[in-house]
Amino acid sequence: MQRLTYAAALSAVIALPATAEEFTWAETTDPQTMDPHAVNSAPVLGFLNNVYEGLVRRGKDMSVEPALATSWEPIGDGEGWRFFLREGVTFQDGAAFNADDVIFSYQRASDEVSDTRSWFAPVSEVIKVDDFTVDILTSAPNPIFPSSIANWMIMDSDWAAANGAELPDKENGNYATLNTNGTGAFQVTDRQPGLSTTLVPYNGWWGEVEHNITSATLTPIQNPATALAALLSGDVDFINPVPIQDVARLQQSADVQVIQGIEARIIMLGFPHEADGLKYSAETEANPFSDVRVRQAISHAINVPAILQTIMRGNAEPANQLVSAAMNGYTEGLGSYEFDPEKSKALLAEAGYADGFSFGLKCPNDRYLNDESVCQAITGMLAQVGITATLDAMPVQNYWPELREDNFDMYLLGWSPGTFDAEHPIRFLAATPNEELKLGSWNFGGYSNARVDELLPLIQSTIDEGERQAMLDEVANILYEEAAYVPMYVQPLVWGAGSNIDLTQRPDNFFILRWVTVN
Amino acid sequence: MLSFIIRRMGQSVLVLLITGLVAFSMFRFVGDPIDNMLGQERTMEDIERLRGQLGLDQPFPVQYFRFLENAAQGNFGVSYRQGRPVAEILLERAPATLELAIVSAFLAVLFGIALGVYTAIRRDGVMANIIMAVSLIGVSLPTFLIGILLIYLFSVELGWLPSFGRGEVTRIGEFWTTGFLTETGLKALILPSITLGLYQMTLIMRLVRSEMLEVLRQDYIRFARARGLKDRVINFRHALKNTMVPVVTVIGLQLGAIIAFAIITETVFQWPGVGLLFINAIQFVDIPVMAAYLMLISVMFVAINLIVDILYVFIDPRLRADRTGGH
Repeated sequence: MQRLTYAAALSAVIALPATAEEFTWAETTDPQTMDPHAVNSAPVLGFLNNVYEGLVRRGKDMSVEPALATSWEPIGDGEGWRFFLREGVTFQDGAAFNADDVIFSYQRASDEVSDTRSWFAPVSEVIKVDDFTVDILTSAPNPIFPSSIANWMIMDSDWAAANGAELPDKENGNYATLNTNGTGAFQVTDRQPGLSTTLVPYNGWWGEVEHNITSATLTPIQNPATALAALLSGDVDFINPVPIQDVARLQQSADVQVIQGIEARIIMLGFPHEADGLKYSAETEANPFSDVRVRQAISHAINVPAILQTIMRGNAEPANQLVSAAMNGYTEGLGSYEFDPEKSKALLAEAGYADGFSFGLKCPNDRYLNDESVCQAITGMLAQVGITATLDAMPVQNYWPELREDNFDMYLLGWSPGTFDAEHPIRFLAATPNEELKLGSWNFGGYSNARVDELLPLIQSTIDEGERQAMLDEVANILYEEAAYVPMYVQPLVWGAGSNIDLTQRPDNFFILRWVTVN
Repeated sequence: MLSFIIRRMGQSVLVLLITGLVAFSMFRFVGDPIDNMLGQERTMEDIERLRGQLGLDQPFPVQYFRFLENAAQGNFGVSYRQGRPVAEILLERAPATLELAIVSAFLAVLFGIALGVYTAIRRDGVMANIIMAVSLIGVSLPTFLIGILLIYLFSVELGWLPSFGRGEVTRIGEFWTTGFLTETGLKALILPSITLGLYQMTLIMRLVRSEMLEVLRQDYIRFARARGLKDRVINFRHALKNTMVPVVTVIGLQLGAIIAFAIITETVFQWPGVGLLFINAIQFVDIPVMAAYLMLISVMFVAINLIVDILYVFIDPRLRADRTGGH
């Protein structure tokens, strides 16, 4: 009996270091599904990047690196891309990975009901060359295709068939909504939607293990104050995000660290380019924003450094185009509209609005960091140049329908390019809206420029990087000259972690477990 | 008697139907769930397709009718967010809320009555006055603030109790999970149940105190004292017993309130119950979950009121005469 107790005590001692590497973290949003093709959103894709893998993946510096494909090369003169697959990879249920799974995952992810369908718009055909070679043909040359599929995750075809999950089912859910079977470094052992999700390392993973986690649990905590308390009391090891206003206080605590960076998201103002008149104006005159001078005047009237200093507490960076400097295809040396109220007033007078005008500013109040405060500041700044903006801030669920129905005179928008390339915002925000071609689907104001529309397909298909950059620069210049949008700043990214945690923060706000070390 | 019960039940059903109608007419103002269900690269075509599939393109009375039709068959739909049947999710979350409500109610009743009696007997004592003053906090401070204060004191500063969640739970049978059987589960219950029960505790305490003071003035108490009975016997056997009639009624009605208003406490403590589920459903515009939750809560309130009404009739024959005979 005594020996037994001794053995139990001993095993408890041995078990101690293992429990020390149990990692818990909290995020505001629970990934709404475990299906990598059902919802194209950062919380889902970020989480599933720990479980599933694509042909390529992004490294710590966002560069594209081999994952399930060891290498890739263009086919012929831009007809597509050939991927050479990694051999000896097994899914977490033990099944071997091969080209059939890639073909299946292409069909699954590009189906009409899949939210990831748009990634495969350039693809004309996917061909299995042999068990470990796949050709992905594109209808036009597509230089950025490999980097655009970093979040396309490969699912085992047999597993999906055996469990009746051949296609994602967003409305009713299916086996893949709750269960996973990837090739990634971690596997999900327990999934309670909205409550907690537990992962353990996958022993059969092909890669080299950097982390020392034995078990990781994600708990969504919606209330920021609760999340902060959980971090401070040591109940969780990591939280994302940390409210901006608490950063200074957290930095004073020795037990926690604040990890700051900038996100890929640009916060900007949009205009009603094609509207005939203002909707929320006391004067109900014509649409002043269709005049480029008025848009430039607005750009000059907004004191971005002041917004960053006060509302963002110095945690964000100003922006002058639709992508941040960390993105591929960023335009160097582009001008920017300095804060200059006098120039703004002069431009307004020139456009015939010396006495200003009034309009309605639409703004979300729970979508971007401190979004409503930013809009309030903008309202004040515009008042300085004689323009009266009436702020209407609302929850994001009400916000998008309002924008879709053109119920705005000006609006706040944040855009994070899914491909990390400057082409992305041009396609969604600057191209003339076109249902059929699936262009300009977030261009609520209906901005339209023939030259931009002409350049976009060329940008998408030009292989030569210099030539491509020149066209991206031209578009950036047009958007700047015309003040199509008012890009203001790059949204900050603020994470909080225990001081004993080493981790890597990526600008896409993905939390990658295999880079975490618990000391 | 029977006709009275039938009439009351008919009224209850009507109340439920109207509650549902009001709820459905409000859902439009909560926002559009479509944007949460589709990623940023969606097209207008995707939006239209999903809207059609979910029946969101229909006017709200039609949506409501469909909901009723399915609900009558025991089908509460599928959560937009989780892609799982709503009934399953509610069943999964209910134990957390019920356990929290029971512990809160227990604490509220226990301390409410004890402190109420104490402050009534020692009406002019220093301690009783302090208790009365402090109890004002329970009524006036919002639950949200009390919860946060408790977390910062007991979790962050002192490190005694967990800051969020339910701790380790044990599964009993197919549906029930309990936090009563583990140390972490019990510890996790302390702060949320105090937060949730504090208002009710103050309410019961003040009610017991005033009822008790009332009773203590009655003649039979004086006679009891004249008979030379011990204070303890007078206070607890004679006075308290007669105090309890209105108190029990209030406690019964408050139990429903505790369950319904657990929402805020659950949000502050990330307590995995139905209240938190409801808040998350509002943020996501998860209409099936919102609808089922609201119907569940209204069924609960209607049922409690119905039972109370029927009990009154049994207890008080005058009511019965009024209803059937009239004046």
